[in-house]
Amino acid sequence: MNVDYKSGKENVGGGSRGAKPPLTDVLIRVENLSKSFGKLKVLSGINEEVRCGEVVSIIGPSGGGKSTFLRCLNLLEQPTDGKVFFDGVNICDRKVDIVEHRRKIGMVFQQFNVFPHLTVTENITIAPTLEKKIPKAQAVERAHSLLWRVGLLDKKDEYPSRLSGGQKQRLAIVRALAMEPMAMLFDEPTSALDPEMVGEVLDVIRDLAKSGMTIVIVTHEMGFAREVSDRVLFMDGGVIREAGTPDEIFECAEDQRTVEFLSMVL
Amino acid sequence: MFDTILALWDKYYYVYLWGLWGTIWLSAASVAAASVVGTGLAFLRLSGIWAFDLLVRAYLGVLRGTPILLQLYFFWIFLPRISPIELSDTMCILTALIVNAAAYVSEVVRAGIQAVDIGQTEAARSLGMRPHNIMFRIVLPQAVKNILPALGNEYITMIKQTSLASVFFVPELMTSYRTVQSATFLALPSLIIAGLIYLVLTTILTKALDVFERRLKKSER
Ligand SMILES: Nc1ncnc2c1ncn2[C@@H]1O[C@H](COP(=O)(O)OP(=O)(O)OP(=O)(O)O)[C@@H](O)[C@H]1O
Ligand SMILES: [Mg+2]
Repeated sequence: MNVDYKSGKENVGGGSRGAKPPLTDVLIRVENLSKSFGKLKVLSGINEEVRCGEVVSIIGPSGGGKSTFLRCLNLLEQPTDGKVFFDGVNICDRKVDIVEHRRKIGMVFQQFNVFPHLTVTENITIAPTLEKKIPKAQAVERAHSLLWRVGLLDKKDEYPSRLSGGQKQRLAIVRALAMEPMAMLFDEPTSALDPEMVGEVLDVIRDLAKSGMTIVIVTHEMGFAREVSDRVLFMDGGVIREAGTPDEIFECAEDQRTVEFLSMVL
Repeated sequence: MFDTILALWDKYYYVYLWGLWGTIWLSAASVAAASVVGTGLAFLRLSGIWAFDLLVRAYLGVLRGTPILLQLYFFWIFLPRISPIELSDTMCILTALIVNAAAYVSEVVRAGIQAVDIGQTEAARSLGMRPHNIMFRIVLPQAVKNILPALGNEYITMIKQTSLASVFFVPELMTSYRTVQSATFLALPSLIIAGLIYLVLTTILTKALDVFERRLKKSER
């Protein structure tokens, strides 16, 4: 079976995969998105678009609302106000089946969150077999191809406790890819890793970006953000203070907070 | 004294074994049934539906706030009145034990489920898994490791608690003591035999549980 995790762009033209091709070139559109936790306003009226195949990095200081913004995109967090359009559909609409929607967006977490009671292969096949009714043999075959791509095929029958942090995160990435998502969200995928393992995970994400996947990534790896991104967003205080190409943000940021932040981290 | 005990055991061991069997199956049946009912109650509390939560909390409040002996009396008096079929004392007492243990078990299950990292649920959600699949394929299999040892403890507790059933002459170990005592008027020796049997039983079970728990920890992957 031809395993491709290059979904995104290929899918625009009406790929062979189950999901229908996007109706618009814009894959994710956020309108006036706000989120409060009780009295604490974490996101204030965000407007943003992510186009098919685009790689968008979100940078900014701790507590600025980056994770919350990302989690609103697959409704792990329910927005307090505003709209989130994915593939032309407002997913905040009560009529939309949110579970169905989440299958089109993969997410990778800082803490990996691999399933410790399942083997590496089972981690990957559980969602496709249960939720997409993909035959077991086919799902396993695909899982093994994905594992091969990220250099984990020899671990296919291990339990996650036998994996290093970098291996766990690579597993988490292919687990999400096995659902053949149209976009991938990464929330600080390398922040919990020992320094020597950061590279192997970034390599996988870089390949994914090159293959045309639509990616939104929250990261503190400025070099990586600069290298792979089509656009960089600087978030602070619950708003996007500045957005632009990597060169625009890293070379000639105008916003005062952005300049301060970059001078601190670079 | 020692000779009296031996002689008594020689003559009445079958009464004790019969009681031991009663104790074992009464506790096993009540813990098994309570596991099912208790898990249901835990799900109701975790459902996030306000009315269910209140209902279960009231249930827990009543069962923890009253003596178990009172609860046994209550079911022994109340159940036969509402039951369309004739109920034995044993059935009434068993029901009371189940209802009581279910309260405890529901808290154990709830705590076991809540102890599973929320990140597991979020990861499963982000994969587009449905809530029942997340519960039964991801969360519960991990929660079982927290729950099983506590259920074992509940079984040991229950073995001691079923002794209260002797008040109603339901066949179990303390009822055996009462039977032998009233036949021989040897109060202390007949009681010591019952006590020794309880000790052997709970010691074996505690040790077995220890081993089981260690195995569980080892398989922690
Ligand atoms: N579930 C929650 N309940 C209450 N407050 C929350 C919750 N989640 C996040 N917050 C608060 O919202 C604010 C933004 O959090 P968020 O995690 O989005 O920031 P972040 O930009 O991702 O920060 P970091 O770089 O540390 O991950 C913080 O002040 C945080 O304390
Ligand atoms: Mg964060």
